[in-house]
Amino acid sequence: MRYLSFIFGQLARNFRHGWTSQVMTLFTVSLSVLIFSFFFLIYVNMEKASSRLGNELRLIVSLEQEVPTAFRPEFKKKITDFAKVDKIVFISREEAFARLSKQLGRDSDILEDLDPSFLPYTVEIFPAGDLKSLTRIKDFSDYLGSLPGAVKVQYGQEWLERFGYFISLLRMIVILSGSLLILTSVFMVSYTIRLTLESRQEELEILRFLGATDRYIRGPVIVEGFLLGLLGACSGLLSLFFLFQWIKNHFSGPGFLNFFELSFLPLANSGSIFLIALLLCTCGSLISIRKYLKV
Amino acid sequence: MSSSATAPTIDTALIDIVKVTKTYPPDIMALDEVSLTVGHGEMLFLTGASGAGKTTLLKLLCFLETPTMGLIEIDKRDIGKLSGHKLQQMRQHIGVAYQDFRLLPKQTVYQNIALAMEVRYENPKFIKQRVVELLADLGLTDKIHTPTAKLSRGEQQRVSIARACANRPPLILADEPSGNLDPAATSLVMNLFHRLNEEGTTIIIATHDQTLYQKSPHRLLNLENGKLQEIIKVNFDLS
Ligand SMILES: Nc1ncnc2c1ncn2[C@@H]1O[C@H](COP(=O)(O)OP(=O)(O)OP(=O)(O)O)[C@@H](O)[C@H]1O
Ligand SMILES: [Mg+2]
Repeated sequence: MRYLSFIFGQLARNFRHGWTSQVMTLFTVSLSVLIFSFFFLIYVNMEKASSRLGNELRLIVSLEQEVPTAFRPEFKKKITDFAKVDKIVFISREEAFARLSKQLGRDSDILEDLDPSFLPYTVEIFPAGDLKSLTRIKDFSDYLGSLPGAVKVQYGQEWLERFGYFISLLRMIVILSGSLLILTSVFMVSYTIRLTLESRQEELEILRFLGATDRYIRGPVIVEGFLLGLLGACSGLLSLFFLFQWIKNHFSGPGFLNFFELSFLPLANSGSIFLIALLLCTCGSLISIRKYLKV
Repeated sequence: MSSSATAPTIDTALIDIVKVTKTYPPDIMALDEVSLTVGHGEMLFLTGASGAGKTTLLKLLCFLETPTMGLIEIDKRDIGKLSGHKLQQMRQHIGVAYQDFRLLPKQTVYQNIALAMEVRYENPKFIKQRVVELLADLGLTDKIHTPTAKLSRGEQQRVSIARACANRPPLILADEPSGNLDPAATSLVMNLFHRLNEEGTTIIIATHDQTLYQKSPHRLLNLENGKLQEIIKVNFDLS
């Protein structure tokens, strides 16, 4: 108890003597946390969107002729031999025609004189959830194309490919920016704590002469690092939350962002960002005090 | 001569200095094969011309310098072998009033003195009480919340002495404690030292000031060019 009261007394004294650098460190830590978690937030939402996209994904195989009902189970088996599938739907020319005219809506009268025979027979395949990666989808599509009677396979290749690249680019950015930000914040925290220690060098020397133990000197510095991490992480994550709310309110409605259905970082993620910031700040202060503990 | 003026025997010794030599680079011989035994509860005066090596000897005793050759034992422990936690604990038990004070200029008189007790995790109430008591003893009561940078040299000197005495350490080293003091302040300081000495504190005082030791019954040692010799005083007060 007394040890704690000493630590906080010293902490208050240090803060009174050098609050500018402490505030600067706090600012750095919260900014680093904010930037990193911002990228992370984007990444998490992208991942979510891509899995949602995966759920809505279907491959459309155009066929030369309709698969007779008797052969359908065999046809299905050929498909499910290659990959798990949620659903396989055979679509007749008439159904396709009806769908098209529904899609056209008011312009459907242009179809009036046409015969459904201009449309191909198709099979829609809804891959199961585990068919996520782009290469797997490609392989699947190649396989479907090689089935007897298949003419063409469509699944919005180009769009999916771009989206895939975008996701992996984003993953890179998150990893890179994350490691850079971790480095900078460790550096900044240990640097500012070292600055405060340097300005207190005379005091530390006198403390040494008076017989202050390592524990006495180390205690307040570690608690200081810990508090910097705590406050920095809290304010960083809080600002992210408010930024997120703002973006959500200003960009919601129909359009691109709506499709993503933005969601905030899950508790586990924000919790680990918080813990990592805390750990790094404490370690940073430990590292910077080490030099001064050598008598 | 009174009993306290006789050299102590080895088994009552608090400090044992054996053939200690200290040379500073390049080749300044500050102490030359100095041997000295100081008993528990003894008060001792160390004189000598400026540059004779008084401060150096005290610095060796409080771990600010290490001897080039020789052995120093405090409380039967070779202080050259102390390190880390043990060393810091030993430091907590030696009060030092440095010749250059070594106060924290931005911090108040109170904070400077309290620091010596805080590193021992003393009770805050006790610390407060002790600081007030010491300041009353040394005539500094009204300066308690003044930053030490704003004090006169003589006041700073007394603050550093108060800090040295704060923990009632078993050993006090005072380097020129009256260097900046008028006779009235000097007698306040000496009264404090005498009182502590009567309670059993061992005190070593390095000084030029003859008035400090002239009438005292305590041992007087003289340093000259790094060599130590004991002065046998002709004591006029002998009845
Ligand atoms: N750090 C040092 N480096 C080099 N020489 C030093 C150092 N400290 C002291 N000396 C030299 O050692 C000798 C003894 O110095 P010391 O400070 O012990 O003298 P002193 O007896 O305390 O003098 P004063 O009465 O003026 O305080 C002097 O010649 C001094 O110049
Ligand atoms: Mg000196």
